[in-house]
Amino acid sequence: MTAGFLDLLVLDDGASIRGYDCRDVVHVKEVSGERGSPGGYLVQLGRLGSRRGVVCREVLGSMALSAREIRPVPEALRERMTGEKPWAVAITGRGILLLY
Amino acid sequence: MVSPSGISPLDEVRKDFLREASIEAEAAGQEKAQEECGPARSLLVFSLGPEWCAVDLAHVRKVLRPGRIARVSGAAPEVLGLMNHMGEVLCVLDLRWILSSGKEAVQAATEGKLIVVMQHGGKEAGFLVDEVRDVKELPASSVLPVLDSVDPSRARLFEGTVTFSGQFVGLLSPSACLNP
Repeated sequence: MTAGFLDLLVLDDGASIRGYDCRDVVHVKEVSGERGSPGGYLVQLGRLGSRRGVVCREVLGSMALSAREIRPVPEALRERMTGEKPWAVAITGRGILLLY
Repeated sequence: MVSPSGISPLDEVRKDFLREASIEAEAAGQEKAQEECGPARSLLVFSLGPEWCAVDLAHVRKVLRPGRIARVSGAAPEVLGLMNHMGEVLCVLDLRWILSSGKEAVQAATEGKLIVVMQHGGKEAGFLVDEVRDVKELPASSVLPVLDSVDPSRARLFEGTVTFSGQFVGLLSPSACLNP
């Protein structure tokens, strides 16, 4: 981890761009598509907390995020989400990133 | 009997009747406004397709042109996404979808439209609308109840009815629109 920065693994889930703390990543595995559906990647997380897997379409790479790029998740969005909710939103040169 | 346009004569009569009633109500409101100097309300009137709506300006923070909206997976269908507006992250909602209770398709195109940012009770969101028509000032007493003809599932989204340019316009409840 770079001082004052959060190192993120950046994923494209097909709808939005997600960022995960690199320190939490256990491994990344390529998964092949079935019955004509495109393949993707399975990202295993849980080095820092509870183990879970995330399937994404593409791994876009990693980036260092500074605290000033981070914003809270708007309440109007938080209330309208099901499943895993992001803990923050980041405004970066790549656009808006959801941090999980 | 249904005309080629699909509108029955009864619907046409009702539509004409409502138009006449709205013109009369508007005229009565203007007379009332001249007679009394009660508290006034400033309303932002905007359109969503053929429908016009209004919202109290006290709850409107700003009106923006849509920028790049980032989609969010796992969000409810009315969530169009998140937009960066001068370093602030704004949640953009599809007002037409909300008012149709999901009967209308989510609007994919934002070109030429506007986002009305509403605020109430510490919550804020941007609502995609087609066009902003006017800002209207009227006495608070001229706000009529929600029309009986409004579908009950939609009625909770309105706090009343006002008349504008010869038609009844639903006055939105910011609290109901902001809370899912």
